[in-house]
Parts: sequence; C-alpha cells; structure tokens
Amino acid sequence: MLDCVVFLADCLVSVSQCIEVIIGGLDYNQNKVNQWTASIVEHSLTQLVKQGRPFKFIVNCAIMQKSGAGLHTANSCYWDTATDGSCTVRWENRTMYCVVSVFAVALTC
Amino acid sequence: RYCCSPATITVLHAFVFVSCQTAFVVDEVSTIIKESVEGAIGGNAYQHSRVNQWTTNVVEQSLSQLSKLGKPFKYIVTCVIMQKNGAGLQTASSCFWDNTTDGSCTVRWENKSMYCIVSVFGLAI
Repeated sequence: MLDCVVFLADCLVSVSQCIEVIIGGLDYNQNKVNQWTASIVEHSLTQLVKQGRPFKFIVNCAIMQKSGAGLHTANSCYWDTATDGSCTVRWENRTMYCVVSVFAVALTC
Repeated sequence: RYCCSPATITVLHAFVFVSCQTAFVVDEVSTIIKESVEGAIGGNAYQHSRVNQWTTNVVEQSLSQLSKLGKPFKYIVTCVIMQKNGAGLQTASSCFWDNTTDGSCTVRWENKSMYCIVSVFGLAI
C-alpha cells in the first residue's frame, strides 16, 4: 500500500494539472460541463496509464455549480488494503467545484 | 443416433451455474444499491447535519450486501448526495480495467429535497 500511496500522491499533481488545463479560468456552463467531465477523466486516466504501473484504475469526476446547495460525497472500498489505494483532488473557482477521485487496484498477475 | 449421457448434462449445467455466479451482474447490484439508499435516506428531507452519516450508511450498507454475494470481486462504491436548489451537477468516470470481467453500475435516486447518485465498480480478482 505504501508503494501505491506514494504513486497516487505523485498523481495528485498531474490530475490537478489536468483540471486546471481543462476548466481553469472558465465559468460554469451547462452546455459544456458534459464535455469537461469527460475530458478530465480521460486525460487523467491517460496520465496514470502512461506511468506503466501494474494497476487497474477508476477515475471519477464531479463538477457542481456554486449556488449554495450542499454536496456530500463518500466512498467505501472492499479490496486488498495492502496493495490498493485511492486519492481525491478538490478544486474550485468562483463558479464551480470539481472533485476528482482516483482508485488504483493492484493487478494480481 | 447421438445420445447425451446424464453425466455430461450435469457437467454442462454446473459450468453455466459457476460462470453466472462469478460475473458482475448489473441488475443484481442495482437492486442492492436501491435498497441501501432507500433504507438509509428514504422518506427524509435534506439535512446538512445528517448528510455525512447518510452517505456513510449508504456506502457501508451497499458494500456489506455486495460482499455477501461471495463473488471474486474487489468493489468500490461512491455516493454523492446533493441538495435540490437548482444547481447543476455533472459526474463522469473512466476506467482502465479488464473489459471482459469487470463492470460498473450507477443508480440515481431522488426525492423532493435531494439527489443521491451511487456508483459501484466491480473488479475481478
């Protein structure tokens, strides 16, 4: 798990950069948000896979407009705590929140 | 004339039974999630002070029921609860896995005051 956690800590930076590149400086736009979430998950996944590590990955992204509504997220995992891990990036600007979670599950072969 | 012996038929039946038991079955998982959500927040209005407990209950209850299926999977369950006040919410996920064995399922639930979105990812061991 230590190896996985260190790896994911490094990935936090590349995921944050993906978010900044795709929606940094933009205002929430209902017509584009669909494209934005898809781009963020795809680019993040590409960066993770490029590292060539023996993991299966799940990348989850949620973008929410800032309007005073409450939002709460939770996740729970049934896996091998010695080899698998996750990390979450929270990003915001004036008009929206973006939460990206990465789950890495070790390949057994 | 070809005749299948009773022994052969029994073996084929067992094979089909085993592979159904080890696949990620979306309907089965979906039912478990819906019951977990309904049990944790059904009939309640959004309450800031309780939502933390609710999301925890939804994921824990879901995971507990999923692990009881006894299938050779690792599971990841995520839950989002959002108050209804007109804000837009969009979620997406992307997976790098084995398309032949792994699967996911998302359940969207709502009542008058909140949305609840639960996603389950099953990764074959």
